[in-house]
Amino acid sequence: MAIRENILTSATARDKYIKGVKLLKNEFPGPTTTSLGIAGPTQEISTYDLFVVWHHTAMTTFTPPTQGDRNAAHRGPVFLPWHRFMLLQLEMNLQRVLGNDLSFGLPYWDWARDGELSTSRQRSAPIWAANCMGGTGAPVTTGPFAFDPADPASWRVRIAATANGQLAQVNRGLRRRLGAPVQGLPGPNRLPRKSHTAFATAQSVYDAAPWSTASAGFRNLVEGWQTQPQIPAPSLHNRVHVFIGGDMSPSTSPNDPVFYLNHCNVDRIWESWMRSPPAGHGRVYVPAQNAPASLRGHRLNDRLNSLLSGSTTPAQMLDVTGSYTYDSLDV
Amino acid sequence: MPDNKPFIRPTLKSIGSYVKKHASGIEHTQGHQHEASETVREADYEGHHIVIRTTYHIEVDGKPVTGHMGVTDDGMVHYHPVPNISFASALDMVKQLIDVFPDDFSSAASKTGAQEHDASQAKSHAGHPRSTAPARSRTAARKTRTDRK
Repeated sequence: MAIRENILTSATARDKYIKGVKLLKNEFPGPTTTSLGIAGPTQEISTYDLFVVWHHTAMTTFTPPTQGDRNAAHRGPVFLPWHRFMLLQLEMNLQRVLGNDLSFGLPYWDWARDGELSTSRQRSAPIWAANCMGGTGAPVTTGPFAFDPADPASWRVRIAATANGQLAQVNRGLRRRLGAPVQGLPGPNRLPRKSHTAFATAQSVYDAAPWSTASAGFRNLVEGWQTQPQIPAPSLHNRVHVFIGGDMSPSTSPNDPVFYLNHCNVDRIWESWMRSPPAGHGRVYVPAQNAPASLRGHRLNDRLNSLLSGSTTPAQMLDVTGSYTYDSLDV
Repeated sequence: MPDNKPFIRPTLKSIGSYVKKHASGIEHTQGHQHEASETVREADYEGHHIVIRTTYHIEVDGKPVTGHMGVTDDGMVHYHPVPNISFASALDMVKQLIDVFPDDFSSAASKTGAQEHDASQAKSHAGHPRSTAPARSRTAARKTRTDRK
């Protein structure tokens, strides 16, 4: 069984993660841009980039299709189980390319700890060091995912969303705009704080009607839509995307390997919330399966959007302690 | 029905097989373009039924912006291709769009291309229209319906 560790305290997990995502980036299981309807010349799509395509596709699939708010992975109750499913699939693929290393667990980035730093220090925190995720820029020029135009083996973004929401072929370096100003965002662009995660895990309800970005409860708070006086939206998960910017901004955000470190921490926060009472609130999920069809795609036993594997359900994602645990649930 | 096998270990062969099986779903989402996005918000209040229809037509440099856009009940504007943030102002949203997608807006694209010295990107785009100048969509505007009873 894997133990998921803090990327800043486990050099082994960090280095295996970097090695693994690079291996997946250079592995081609067969699908091509043409076979997936992505315009341009026919190019093979790597296993890593298929996860990019999957995230975009889930995000652009309305659930149910009769409404235009909730999608197959976001803006509704399924946000946490769907991303747990995605991370499990990535983790198993990383274990495979690392030589069937079943002890490997995805590392997480405890971003709320960095959120306690000053705004300027958040942009130069250890996570952005050359021996970890590298720094900011368009393209990123430091660290393991730095762009080198003369080196075709350097990290390149190959599939990205356009401003009109379609997948397109590109061939460029990774982009980040750490802490850069965002139009319409009041105050500095900074990371969430420990008080924010504490407020989220104190929520007694997982989710509530109208099961959307207007909901009360834990899911909508940790996803980052719910505005509280002390936690203005975008917050928590959303705020991490917004803070990093660049390729973390569009629906193809898994292009940045930091995506998985963010979501692994989100998953850890969920796991902390699901601890048995009184530490947590138990492994509970709503809406139940007898909820109206207008919530199809988000109910307990509805199937989750999948691409690289068979599907599963939110119910099956509630207890995955047989696959991995965290080194700490102190979020 | 789900196959109840989320933990089956993947292989190169299984990935190729599953992606092939699900490919139609990807192609379907690639076709979504909306010259106008209409949101219908409804609520009941004091025995009255409220309906608010909001339609946005957005252009940048005369070219339509055709991704899916919606308005939530709190009046915030949400644009699908920028999924992690809502905006109080549609103008701020479009400015952010220009910042996030520099390649799709010509003046910024030339700057970014020069920085990256990457001629192969232009090659990759050859043969299909730039996303900011799509053929005018004949798809009916999608309705974003928000029911709040």
